[in-house]
Amino acid sequence: MNNILKGRPLSRGIVEGEAIVTKQPFSITAAFAIPLISNVKKLKVADKTHELYKKVVSDKVLIFPIPIGTTTLGFVLLETIVRKIGPKAIVCAEGEPLMSSGAVAADIFFDMKFPIVDHIEFSELEKIENGALVRVNGNEGTVEIL
Amino acid sequence: MYLTKDEEHILDGNAGEMLSILMRFLVEIGDSFEAEKLIEIVSAHTVLNIGLSFCRAAADVLHRIADSGLKVKVRTTADPIPDMDYTKELDSVYSIFGLHEQMMEDLAKIGVHGFTCTPYYLDNKPKLGEHCAWSESSAVIYLNSVLGARSNREGGILDVASGILGKTPYYGLHLSENRKGQILYKIGSDIDTNEGINLTSIGLKIGETAGHKIPVIDGLSQISTDDLKNLGSASASTGAVALIHIPGITPEAKILQDAFGDKPEEVIEIEMSDLKEIKEKYSTEWQIPPQNIVIGCPQLSRKETIDVIKKLDNKKIVESLNFWICTNVEVKNYILNSEYKKILDYSGAKITTICPTYIAPPKPTITNSAKSCYYSPATYRSIDQCIQIATEGRHNE
Repeated sequence: MNNILKGRPLSRGIVEGEAIVTKQPFSITAAFAIPLISNVKKLKVADKTHELYKKVVSDKVLIFPIPIGTTTLGFVLLETIVRKIGPKAIVCAEGEPLMSSGAVAADIFFDMKFPIVDHIEFSELEKIENGALVRVNGNEGTVEIL
Repeated sequence: MYLTKDEEHILDGNAGEMLSILMRFLVEIGDSFEAEKLIEIVSAHTVLNIGLSFCRAAADVLHRIADSGLKVKVRTTADPIPDMDYTKELDSVYSIFGLHEQMMEDLAKIGVHGFTCTPYYLDNKPKLGEHCAWSESSAVIYLNSVLGARSNREGGILDVASGILGKTPYYGLHLSENRKGQILYKIGSDIDTNEGINLTSIGLKIGETAGHKIPVIDGLSQISTDDLKNLGSASASTGAVALIHIPGITPEAKILQDAFGDKPEEVIEIEMSDLKEIKEKYSTEWQIPPQNIVIGCPQLSRKETIDVIKKLDNKKIVESLNFWICTNVEVKNYILNSEYKKILDYSGAKITTICPTYIAPPKPTITNSAKSCYYSPATYRSIDQCIQIATEGRHNE
């Protein structure tokens, strides 16, 4: 596969981290709200319907096909970014503003960068192995497998 | 993105620092989604309301906006807030709303009022073709599908910024060409579509399979708009669905052919066996007796509220549990001043304006809401089953 995948930048910033990949659409609210309420230091996915249930996603680059679920996810994502306990970046096939608004708000109001890149075919993304080191560039909209 | 001179003036900071920051927020989101310009909106609805203690960053942003003295330009409502009539019954719930008072003060300063997830039952009811900036996934899907108004699924903060600027980026569901159906769902003849739990289960199944695409449902030509609200809220939970067409019901699809630009990308049939599977998947079966039974997520319309209360006529809720009927403040006040109050008082049921999802954890809860079952560990039953359990005390059925 190409080492550099080109997509669309939804939120600025450049980070490197280990990939955690799921084929299942991802609900940020269902996954993170309860751990945030419990004041955890590391985020484990709390969505019992998800294949990543109980997996730690802190400091990882989270890769999934699409975000789903209720519109509180923007400020739930914002909270994980500001508390520095969640993933470092998100890559997906098709994003939406309610997700990226949380990351853009972190940049605008807290000067904290959380890159999001979308518009990469999931058939390409799912080739990335769990644990692979990737660089997400939210300025250019690229994902590089290192 | 193209900006008018006025918009550039604001972005450059000539109308104040915070307005410039909010404009930058809209422009960055608009640019990333390739919006050609900003358009004027008639209303906004925000999810930045609930004062949950864990949402410190969002509360901080709201506080900074309120401190700047900016106010919303268009009618802006917000999601439900804690109901102070029930501080005793819900004491474990109220402890998680540590930021409630601060956020209420800030929202009042900004000019946001009307707290419900169903603002279209109050006075925030946009008309066909009008542009809006709404969050609350169940409200967005109702606005696009039932009202035929137009909103993307906005996020908290972005919704308030749009309300203050009176504008939103012009992309996605604001454009007619992006509102055509993509997947055709055929409802099996073995499904009783008069049964509410079948409709919400159809909603769960559609959300799972449609993702962010636009479903068209064939076979629900008799569905009420209240039932469509409940179905849509389920699809917006298990999926990212923001618009559903139902020929003969929703305004942008008078007939099946109107719903599609060309032909469906995919046809999916839903049968009773699918719904059985879905009900089991999303229901948490508690082994201990329930403490709460909750009806109304999304919050009930006046008609739905009256229908539930009528079902309680001459019945009493068993003493060991609370039976909650969740609706907006106007309906609550109407009921408390109507002949229905007698039925409520006799039965022991409680009418409340709180968000039902927050009643559930951590106590065993039973609900008719597909959405609540997705977000909290609640048992999923029909309204009639909920009432039977509440009045007869048996729960293992």
